Amino acid sequence: MSTTAVKPPRRRGRRRVFNTVNVSAVVIALVTAAPIYWLLVNSITPTGEMGTLPPTFWPSEPTLTHYEEAFGQHAFGRYVFNSLLVACLATTFVLGLSLFAGYALARMPVRGKGPIMVFLLMISVFPTIAVVTPLYMIERSLGLLNTHVGLILPYVAFNLPFAVWIMRNYLKDLPYELEESAQIDGASTTRTVWSVILPTVRPGLFAVGVFTFTACLTEFLMAMTFNSEDDMRTVPVGIALFGSEFEVPFGTIFAASVATVLPIAVLALVFRRAVVAGMTAGAVKG
Amino acid sequence: MTAHTQDPARDTAPERARTPRPAPRAGRAHRAATRTAWAYLTPTLVVVGAVTVFPVLFSLAMSFSHVDLSYSGFELEGPTLDNYVALLTSARWYSALAFTLFYTVVTVAVELALGTLIALVLERLTAGRGWLMALLLVPWAMITVVSAQLWAFMLNSSYGVISWFFDLVGLEVVILGEPAPAIAAVMIADIWKTTPFVAIIVLAGLVTIPREQYEAASIDGANAWHSFWRITLPQLTSTLAIAVLFRTLQSFGVFDLPFVMTGGGPGTATEPLALLGWRVMFQSLNLGAGAAIAVTTGGIVLIMCLLALKVFRAQVGEVRR
Repeated sequence: MSTTAVKPPRRRGRRRVFNTVNVSAVVIALVTAAPIYWLLVNSITPTGEMGTLPPTFWPSEPTLTHYEEAFGQHAFGRYVFNSLLVACLATTFVLGLSLFAGYALARMPVRGKGPIMVFLLMISVFPTIAVVTPLYMIERSLGLLNTHVGLILPYVAFNLPFAVWIMRNYLKDLPYELEESAQIDGASTTRTVWSVILPTVRPGLFAVGVFTFTACLTEFLMAMTFNSEDDMRTVPVGIALFGSEFEVPFGTIFAASVATVLPIAVLALVFRRAVVAGMTAGAVKG
Repeated sequence: MTAHTQDPARDTAPERARTPRPAPRAGRAHRAATRTAWAYLTPTLVVVGAVTVFPVLFSLAMSFSHVDLSYSGFELEGPTLDNYVALLTSARWYSALAFTLFYTVVTVAVELALGTLIALVLERLTAGRGWLMALLLVPWAMITVVSAQLWAFMLNSSYGVISWFFDLVGLEVVILGEPAPAIAAVMIADIWKTTPFVAIIVLAGLVTIPREQYEAASIDGANAWHSFWRITLPQLTSTLAIAVLFRTLQSFGVFDLPFVMTGGGPGTATEPLALLGWRVMFQSLNLGAGAAIAVTTGGIVLIMCLLALKVFRAQVGEVRR
């Protein structure tokens, strides 16, 4: 008996189901999930039931009409196409450029690495508003407004710094034997990076990829400013500008939202490890 | 170990021949490597410089000029301080500055505290940890515009579920119709979306703290509270500092959440600097004044960055070796 009194309450806590940790976990889960649930439910609730009080917590007749409206009446399919095209191409460029730039910063003799890294980190957090007008004017004179290139270019530039940062952190920790054996075999540096380094940093590239892709899909300020024509809008712009001043078609908005958030969420869940690794690579490693 | 310690001093070694042929000598190989490295870096630096640095300088020039817009182009006349004078005498700019600062301080502080708590829960959770982390990634992956529409819908005064709940408990308030509740609502929407990000970063820092330290402390009779303040927090400092920095600078540039959720209203209660700047530039077409707002916003961010340079240095220090 005396041993149980002396032992810290830790073990007791582990066995009980209703301990502080589990209860907090449930609360966290509920608070996080409730708005997501509301988004899902209202995307399948008929418009007539959406504005009722008390609220409809589950529709009497779930419907897919909002989804049909989003893709039928509104050009939502076109927005998805624009977003995917821009995000995919921007991500590809970011991956290619950040692999080589990260490699140079992590493992090659370059002077001024410190200032370059600080410069990149500062750029990656610089507010978009500070560059959006000049960029608009430049793009206007180059005829890049309302084109895909006009978005890909700034997206690459704004996502590169953080990507380089993550890649450098991954590459820094690789064993140097990798390159040495490749060099003994007579491979050039570029060849070494491409065929020896690239396969080993897949997780890093993956994290960069998921990050950049998500950032491009969610960017709003530049997309709205540069590509204002309906045909060239991206998903966030489309979702923000659905409807008129007098009526906001929330059902359609939510259907469109689910249709976009779901793939990103599934992507994030499937590649959870890579995402988490990417999030923390910039912050914790160093 | 010795294989990769590269001596930066070698860079200054005099060049003997310009032949690109790889030479067996270490000095020349080193030079070749440096050249390759710059070849790898240049595209990145050019793209980043062209799309960010040049426009920033352009903004700076516009902010000190009268900008005349015509159909075919624009003309800058200056230099003048008029734009900054207009800024400093505008109540709306002060209101935007105050909102942005308040919003940044409160959201970052709350997200940090809640994020740390959630990370502690996640670390101790034995069952369902993966699921909870997966769930936490959903708000992070959600498009800000979507979460803004969702919160606006939930807070709508006539059919919003949250307004209904407030009514139920006897609180009569038009949440998005009055300044203080609207400000709180925008902050809560941001906290809901971003706290998971902070939690996951903090968790990554938490798991690097050696278990033995906690065991030693508990043998010495320390309770959980003491362990947290004496062991956990000190070792989380650098992680938290980076999280604070990133979040602060992001919050300071906030645009899409208030744009969609409240339109900056009621009045200008939830209008951040970025939204004010955008409106002045693209709706009032007053490019000079807009540029002044953009430049001051960027300037404040830059000052915060320089103040935090110590943190950067700690992160970058290793590279300088």
